[in-house]
Amino acid sequence: MRYNEKELRALSRQPAELAAELGMRGPKKGSVAKRRLVKLVVNFLFYFRTDEAEPLGALLLERCRVAQEEPGGFSISFVEDPERKYHFECCSQEQCEQWTEALRRASYEYMRRSLIFYRNEIQKMTGKDPLEQFGISEETRFQLSSLPRDGQSARVSSRLDELD
Amino acid sequence: MKLNKRSVAHYALSDSPADHTGFLRIWGGPGTPTTPSGTGRRCWFVLKGNLLFSFESPEGRAPLSLVVLEGCTVELAEAPIPEEFAFTIRFDAPGVRPHLLAADGQAAQEAWVKALSRASFGYMRLVVRELEGQLQEARQSLASHRCATRKAIASRCKPQAPNHLSPSPENGHFLPSNCSSMGSTEEGGSRPAGRDLAEWEWQGPASFLLSKGQSPVSPETSCFSTLHDWYGQEIVELRRGWQQRALGGQPECEP
Repeated sequence: MRYNEKELRALSRQPAELAAELGMRGPKKGSVAKRRLVKLVVNFLFYFRTDEAEPLGALLLERCRVAQEEPGGFSISFVEDPERKYHFECCSQEQCEQWTEALRRASYEYMRRSLIFYRNEIQKMTGKDPLEQFGISEETRFQLSSLPRDGQSARVSSRLDELD
Repeated sequence: MKLNKRSVAHYALSDSPADHTGFLRIWGGPGTPTTPSGTGRRCWFVLKGNLLFSFESPEGRAPLSLVVLEGCTVELAEAPIPEEFAFTIRFDAPGVRPHLLAADGQAAQEAWVKALSRASFGYMRLVVRELEGQLQEARQSLASHRCATRKAIASRCKPQAPNHLSPSPENGHFLPSNCSSMGSTEEGGSRPAGRDLAEWEWQGPASFLLSKGQSPVSPETSCFSTLHDWYGQEIVELRRGWQQRALGGQPECEP
C-alpha cells in the first residue's frame, strides 16, 4: 500500500491535540521501552525520537482499543489483533487518564457515532433535524446507516496477507 | 516512516460503510506516466472518513494506495490539463505534487469534489461540536421546563428510585447499569461485540427516560409507584447535573 511520506510528515507538523514525552514499547516480543515524543494529530498518533524533527512512525487510530495498564500506563491495540499491543508509560495517573480519554475519542468513527447520536437526540427533543439548516442532512457520512456492522474480522484478516 | 499498515488495510477492507466510492482514473502512480498523457490508470476508490483508498477493483483484497485528506484543497482541474472531469487534491506542503484524478462524468466529478472537500477530521469535528452545543441547549431548556412545572410535586418526592443510570467515568456517557461488556477497557474506534449501537450505547439520560414510555401525563403510567420512580429518576439526574456543573465539569462536553 503506497502513501506519500511527505504528506504524512506534513500532517505530523500540524497542531496536536496532545503531545508529550512518554515511554513507548512496540508490540514485538522483547521490545524495550524508549522515550518518545508522542503527538496526537486528528486520528493519527505520531511518535518521534526526542531529538528529531521527523516522525519515526505513525499509528492510525481507527478501530483501536485503548486500555489502562498498571501502573501508570496504557496500551493501544487494534481489533483485528487485540493481543498485539503498543505500550506507553506515563509520568502520572493523571497524564495516563488524559491520554486514554483523548485517544478513545480520536477516531473519525467515534466522531461519526457522536454526531449521529446528537442528531437523533436533538431530533427527538425538538422535532427538527439539526443538519437541515446547514444543508448537509443528506450526506452519507451523517446517516444512521453509516455505522459499521461488526463481526467480519475473521474474513478480513485472511485478506490482509495479500499486503505487499 | 513506519505506519501500522496492517491495521490501516483492515480498516479499508472492513465493512464500515464508505462515505463515497467509484472508479477514477489516476496519474502519477507506479506504471502510469507522471504527466496527464494517455488515459491514466483506472482504479476503484473508497473514501472512509478522512482516508482515500484505491483498489485494483471493487473486489480488491488489498488497498493500492492511501491519501490522508488533511490540510489539502480539492479543486476542479483547470486548463492546461486537457482531461475531462478531472480534479486535483493539493497539499500545502513543500515538494508535494498535487494528485490528479478524473471521474467518468460531470455528476461523478462534482460528487467526488464535494465528498473529498468535506472529508477532513476538522470538518466533522466542527459539526459534532455544533450539535453538542445544540443538544446541551435543548436539554437545559427541557430540564428547566420540567423543573418549573414539577416543582410542587418534586419537593415531596424522595429520590429513592434505584439508580438505573451509572455514568461510566471512562467515556463520560451514561450507560444502563446492566451493561456487562465494558470492564476496564474502552474501545476507541470499535463497537462492543453483539450490541446494536443505535439501541443502547448512546442512551443519554433524557432518551433513557423518554424511551421507557412512561411520563406523568401518559395513560400508560400504571400506578403511583411508577409516578414516584419517574420523578425520582428525574431528581437524581438533575442533582447529578448540578453537582457536576458545580465541580466545573460537564459530562458530555469535550474540551
